[in-house]
Amino acid sequence: MATTKIPKIAKKATFVAGASGTRDRAMQLPGYVTPRGHTAPMVLVAPRPLLRSAPPGVAPADRGSGREVLALLRGDTAARPRFDPELAGGLRAWLEDAAYDVVTKRGEHAPSLFLGPSQLLGLPAGWRDHEGLSDELILSRLAHALFGQLVHEGELGDPLRDALDALRASGAGALVGHVESLSAAARAALSETLASHAANMKEMVPRFAPGWMPRTNDRVAIPLAGGRVMLHGSFDLLVGLPQPGTASLCALGLSTSGPWARERRSLHYLALLETLRSGTPPFRLALLESATGRYGVEDVREEHLRAIASHLCAWLATGPHG
Amino acid sequence: MADRLTDILVAPVTAVDPSSWDAALEEAKGILAGLAVRRAGAGPFRVTGHEVRAALCGDAADHAEQPPFAWSAHTARRALGLAAVRLLVAGGARSPVEAVRARLGESSGWIRDGDPCASRLDRWVAGLSPAGRTAVGAEAVTWATRLWCALDWSALGSPLGIGRDRWWDSPHSALLALRSRAEVRTDRTNFVVLSGPRRESVRAELALVTLVESLRTRGGAVPGRVVGWWPDSGHLVRVEPEPAVLTLGAEAVALVLAGADAPVRSAA
Repeated sequence: MATTKIPKIAKKATFVAGASGTRDRAMQLPGYVTPRGHTAPMVLVAPRPLLRSAPPGVAPADRGSGREVLALLRGDTAARPRFDPELAGGLRAWLEDAAYDVVTKRGEHAPSLFLGPSQLLGLPAGWRDHEGLSDELILSRLAHALFGQLVHEGELGDPLRDALDALRASGAGALVGHVESLSAAARAALSETLASHAANMKEMVPRFAPGWMPRTNDRVAIPLAGGRVMLHGSFDLLVGLPQPGTASLCALGLSTSGPWARERRSLHYLALLETLRSGTPPFRLALLESATGRYGVEDVREEHLRAIASHLCAWLATGPHG
Repeated sequence: MADRLTDILVAPVTAVDPSSWDAALEEAKGILAGLAVRRAGAGPFRVTGHEVRAALCGDAADHAEQPPFAWSAHTARRALGLAAVRLLVAGGARSPVEAVRARLGESSGWIRDGDPCASRLDRWVAGLSPAGRTAVGAEAVTWATRLWCALDWSALGSPLGIGRDRWWDSPHSALLALRSRAEVRTDRTNFVVLSGPRRESVRAELALVTLVESLRTRGGAVPGRVVGWWPDSGHLVRVEPEPAVLTLGAEAVALVLAGADAPVRSAA
């Protein structure tokens, strides 16, 4: 059983996960911020056994895990959380103070600082900064392309061919060219690995009715200090209709390489950005790990947002952004 | 978000002193006439918000070095997304997913049937593999969903224009044309979906919309306000129709045509 080190505040949150979580338990999650000292203990995330690659094009008939993820996301519709309307303003003020300190240090005319999860939370496992296309980065791009196809079409053909077609249409010609230039053996290995990820995704990715308004790759960019500091990121998938004053969205993230704790914090970061964008965070987050088929669903709580905002402020105060 | 934006779009437009407005409009026409004469023989020039941004942000040279336009999921999302929103407003689809799917189906149908109304975009979409088409559709769905969810469409009233660009052709030179781009137009507001970072040039970009709408209006009527909205951040910028906005728009056009990056006087 894997355990992860998590921030002190976030540790009190309940996280329902793949093999060890249950739907009933998720349904009972309170939709409001639990008073200090009354929170449920953390449910440790238990990774599912590593799945072997499945024959391409064969989808489980009932999408067992996907239905479970969908049920966990839907949860108790009567218990949707309401967040303090002042929360977004308070978080923004906190971050603005930290951003203005950075601007003071860097100077008014320094170029804008663009900060995403890679800068603020560290690179995902296997990614290399400034060293071109690592195998993990390529796999991530390919898997995310398949993720979008599964969300919108529900089916996959040959994973590598579909992913390359999707990336080619998305203008990622350099990456496609790189993959196509690989040796036959390297390409076969990549194809096999991607097929394994695709098989897990077919099981985990729910089928959303069009009325859920599923949208992939929804970019968020929040300017601070008059745009001199930009916090940005992209939701792999958002579902739900925005409603004023009520948290009504769910966000799903796809991780291809982990580590799990980093990817989970990345979702919290995106939830914070959504709070700053629309005034309310998503009420529930799901993290799907395509390498293992492991998934987890959790409610967003004010503690998550405060913890990640605190991390950002600390990063801005001490980070390598001179 | 929908309530806040919609309230701004349907709010009455600020009253403008007619004589000040007329004077500013005449001044702007004079500036544009002078520009058209000076550019005679220089080839056609179409000024859009994109050129205004490039000129004011000082990155016109960078834009010149960019690769030529090519269709991609990113460049196709607005056209497909707007068609989807039109379908949603008309009641022809119940969700952005369905609307985009219908629009992509139209492309395939038009190409298959040899319909003359098929555009280059339709030909590109129809030539994609199923996976490629899904990727293009996914980008358009995200774009359309953001716009669709941003407004309370039933409160906007009619007439409602969705995604129709408007052009003003200089009466002094057939070579000069200005574009007004807005995603949604009501009788009171031109609503513009913005991308990229917040920037100092944005008021001049939106002033171009006011200028074109004013030049196209008969009898010197004052056009509606222009509201720019960044879906990435939820921020918006509002440009009310004031005489100074016309001046700002005309000066921005002059700056574009001059190819210079000198600062433009702010209308703020």
